[in-house]
Amino acid sequence: MSEPNGVPAEAGERFAIGISFGNSTSSISRINPDGKAEVITNEEGDRQIPTFLSYIDGEEYHGTQAKAQLVRNPNNTVAYFRDYLGKSFKSIDPTPCHQSAHPQQSDSTVAFSIRDTESETPNTVTVSEITTRHFRRLKRSATEYLGKEVNAAVVTVPTDFQDAQREALVASAKAAGIEVIQLIHEPVAAALAYDARPEAVVTDKLVVVADLGNTRSDVAVLACRGGMYTILATAHDYELGGSSLDQIIIDHFAKEFIKKHKTDPRENARGLAKLKLEGEATRKALSLGTNASLSIESLTDGIDFGSTVNRTRFELLSGKVFAQFTGLIDGVVKKAGLDVLDIDEVIFSGGTSHTPKIANLTRNMFPEKTKILAPATTAGSINPSELAARGAAIQASLVQEFDKEDIEQSIHPMVTATPHLRNAIGVQFVSGDNLDFKPLLHAETALPARRIAQYSAPKDGGDVIVRVCEGTREIKVTKPEPKPKEEKPGKTDEDLDGSDFDSDEAEEEEEIREIVWKTEKPIAELAVKGIKAGGKAEVMIHVNADLGLQITVREVGGQNAVRGAVEAPKTVENGSA
Amino acid sequence: PSLPEGWSAEKDFKAVGTLSSASQRNLEPVGPHFLAHARRKRHHRTFSEDERI
Repeated sequence: MSEPNGVPAEAGERFAIGISFGNSTSSISRINPDGKAEVITNEEGDRQIPTFLSYIDGEEYHGTQAKAQLVRNPNNTVAYFRDYLGKSFKSIDPTPCHQSAHPQQSDSTVAFSIRDTESETPNTVTVSEITTRHFRRLKRSATEYLGKEVNAAVVTVPTDFQDAQREALVASAKAAGIEVIQLIHEPVAAALAYDARPEAVVTDKLVVVADLGNTRSDVAVLACRGGMYTILATAHDYELGGSSLDQIIIDHFAKEFIKKHKTDPRENARGLAKLKLEGEATRKALSLGTNASLSIESLTDGIDFGSTVNRTRFELLSGKVFAQFTGLIDGVVKKAGLDVLDIDEVIFSGGTSHTPKIANLTRNMFPEKTKILAPATTAGSINPSELAARGAAIQASLVQEFDKEDIEQSIHPMVTATPHLRNAIGVQFVSGDNLDFKPLLHAETALPARRIAQYSAPKDGGDVIVRVCEGTREIKVTKPEPKPKEEKPGKTDEDLDGSDFDSDEAEEEEEIREIVWKTEKPIAELAVKGIKAGGKAEVMIHVNADLGLQITVREVGGQNAVRGAVEAPKTVENGSA
Repeated sequence: PSLPEGWSAEKDFKAVGTLSSASQRNLEPVGPHFLAHARRKRHHRTFSEDERI
């Protein structure tokens, strides 16, 4: 990135990584020497590092080692604290911490009472301090791996993170010696991880990012226009996640155990903790294989327990929970005012996205042309657990050389002051009696924007008119048997298939739904004279931030271009930037 | 494109309407294309000016 005045302000050079900081797991990532984003392992060899800290006799354990302490040392193990940062005690949900150290009120913030020194009396450690310790460990792991001191990072956060949470996170990281260059949103990081691959082509598309975590799930609809992202809608479920599926496994095995031994292992805290740990491992194994076993030594009353479960059985038991996941995805598409037909890609992110059934059910919800990017549905999809971290690493590599002020300036006024097109702009075609519309700039494109496209002229060439219009898309519903007719009232005969959106739908017995474009409002007309037979016309439309347009049309290979400008509408409701 | 009949305009261009109003939304400040956009906006450059640099 060549920034004109991009000399690092500080004498010390930045060395930045990407960090995805989750309630359940965190990851560290960098751009490897080949220029690809890569998630790096900690000293235990984990790429998904559990966001856990545990203390025994003053010694600190982190990651997987700390998570293992849930069984024997739950009171001094801190977990699921990310969402408590920068929040008041009243506003948090302590449920995820039932099995570990409980959150408590401490002044205006949340704290944990843990024995983190050799002394017997517990200390009150704020969630900010816990986060700092966690970041210190992440920094150490990354520094050891890379052999160079890591001192900066781009960190991912959920879209609903409040300013206080962002500030608390930046402060905690700073105390750990990590300068947070930028906080980016998790779904955008996931989309970037896909779009920054060398083979990816920048297109205009609508993307749903389903981030299915362990204790919560977040879904967002993004408009990707010219490689820039705009969030159109988000939905969050703070109770749905991998742990909901773990619970099904736990209950299943607990019932089996009760049948044999007449005691409920869930009533014993340690038994439940063991079931949780092993149940999670079993659930993850079912994402890879069709059979998984569970074996726990001395589950309760000194009885060992071993059993297996197959994927079919698990999927039957989990039907309701799966429906909650798909319901969340469906809901956010509607919230954005869109239809499943509008969606070009569904990106599955987060650990729970490995579950094959969730991706398969989603596959059935969307039309054929929608790409479902999950391991179960698309070969070559990126590991969902790594997406956010990879996106963060890519962004870190882009901005690490910028000045602090440069980044702040770029982030703030720029972002908020961007008008987006309300309707698509495209070219109208006439074929026979039918009017057809092909969008060139889609709705929700950030301005200013420019698009170029080529259209073939009528076969015999001659003089051609290009009519630039605004268009809107509608969903045409066709009943299969009684001859095709339109469902929606108030539609005119202008509708016709032929846009590149209505790819052949699977032939179903149900009604067929497809996207049709409707011309709303003509903008300008241009004439190109004397096009050769079989020639093509190239249309370039440039839309300014004030909604003025410049349009250029020329014959491909020809010399003469017709150009003109359309003035901005007089009733601009928002001052242009 | 389609054929015109008896259509004429100055320099073969005729503006017939304007765009409907835009909606203000927040772009996500992420990715190379955004950074390019931010650079253009801060230096008040247009696309073609930016390409020349």
